[in-house]
Amino acid sequence: MTEAKSYSKLGEALAKGEFILTGELEPEKTCDLSHTIEEAKQMAPYVIAANVTDSPLGIVTINSMAATHLIQKATGLECVWQMTVRDVNKLGIAGMIMGAQALGIHNILSLTGDHTAMGDLPESKPVFDLDSATLIKLVREMVDKGSINGHEIEDPPKLHVGGAANPNSNPMEPEILKIGRKAEAGCEFIQTQVVYDLDRTIEFLTGIRKYKVPILLGIFPMKSYGIAKGFDTFVPGVSVPKEILAKWKSVKKDVTDKKQQKELYDQYNYDLFKPFIGELKRKKLIDGIHCMAVHYPRIFPKLNDIIRG
Amino acid sequence: MCQTGGTEGAKEMAEKLESEGFNITTVIVPEEVCDNRVMKKDARNIEEELQHTDAILTLSCGLGVASITEVLSNKFPLIPVFVGTNTEFMGMTERIGRFYMRCQGCGDCLLNETGGICPITTCAKALMNGPCGGMVEGMCEVGNYEKDCGWVLIYKRLKQLGRLDLFSKLREPRNWSESGHQREVVWR
Ligand code: SF4
Ligand code: SF4
Repeated sequence: MTEAKSYSKLGEALAKGEFILTGELEPEKTCDLSHTIEEAKQMAPYVIAANVTDSPLGIVTINSMAATHLIQKATGLECVWQMTVRDVNKLGIAGMIMGAQALGIHNILSLTGDHTAMGDLPESKPVFDLDSATLIKLVREMVDKGSINGHEIEDPPKLHVGGAANPNSNPMEPEILKIGRKAEAGCEFIQTQVVYDLDRTIEFLTGIRKYKVPILLGIFPMKSYGIAKGFDTFVPGVSVPKEILAKWKSVKKDVTDKKQQKELYDQYNYDLFKPFIGELKRKKLIDGIHCMAVHYPRIFPKLNDIIRG
Repeated sequence: MCQTGGTEGAKEMAEKLESEGFNITTVIVPEEVCDNRVMKKDARNIEEELQHTDAILTLSCGLGVASITEVLSNKFPLIPVFVGTNTEFMGMTERIGRFYMRCQGCGDCLLNETGGICPITTCAKALMNGPCGGMVEGMCEVGNYEKDCGWVLIYKRLKQLGRLDLFSKLREPRNWSESGHQREVVWR
């Protein structure tokens, strides 16, 4: 952190250098947030904050700022408002940042967002007036200087802003240099894309460590074989290693008792991520874990054990 | 030039319209339909035919329609000009039949910083600080990973030129303050 000031629990923990755990909440296509709120309650004792997604894959869901506010209000769990530059121009986003402050939101994750053409309203106009780096810069100007484009804001917002990074990126060098741009823009924390390949991850994290931005490693514990297989098939650029898929498949095939199945999946996730995270932590390449597995809140006690261990 | 019409195409279209019952007063192939001066000359040559013309169909890009309409606005203001092609883009010609969008005339050119490759055109999100997370193995998420990611192309070119310092630069958002209205270049 370049500033000693903290506006949120997440900001404070990062400033103190605590090894932290964050989660992710993905509202579905409904105006009723009760499911998401239920998940938030279950993960709340274990995480410092949880991201709230902004229409991932360009598939329309409830506005992420509204959802962030409502989840925080209903659960007391601090959230990280994910904001993509896909749908709103600079003027609109600046207004939303002020709105977020007024609604008690103090963390924002700046994202490009999946292209409109990929989602369920493909004929929408893709905006991309800002990009993920210049949104970070805008937030930092509003917060640190209390101005927008040099125009003073009477009561400026107080938010911490983070960005994303993809260790799976190939070629890797432009992605590393891009993180340098985000750092220059004032990025206060990085959350990575989900990783499974330890060597690549080490190479990438070593490459971006010089920018001195706290790094939260993105992981995806797999709740079932179906989820693991789906993730492997449908998430471009990330593949689940074959031996892991085989192990998960064996649970589905060989274990009939549902309760036992669940316990095994949970245990396998623990066995998979404990050494992975341990190694990166030992190498001082990460400052925390960001768990992106949505709808799997029962895994958090195990993840908590890992990060405390 | 792009043979969206040309002598052959114009003739074919005229025959088609005739078979539908239209009376074709004339068919012309101007050399440069978007150049008012050329169009004026061509229009003078067909003034006689224009006297009995109810409508003009042009097989050029949108600029042709604008140019013909303006050139005829004094003498033949009542003749509507229709467009017979859909203007995809103003493209670069590899050879006849292969055209590629390489510039969108955005009015805020940054090619000198991007190794001569235009991010406005080659990046599906027209980002100033790519590549984005949609890049997989050098390809772009838009169009099912069949097209190169523009920002990887820029990275490779700048690396080849030994100018990764330009790639690393944090670029400001595009300035749209001049883009929202009719643009013109008048210097004489
Ligand atoms: S930046 Fe691209 S679109 Fe804009 S003028 Fe230059 S080449 Fe054309
Ligand atoms: S993958 Fe590359 S070309 Fe496609 S939108 Fe992202 S940066 Fe632009």
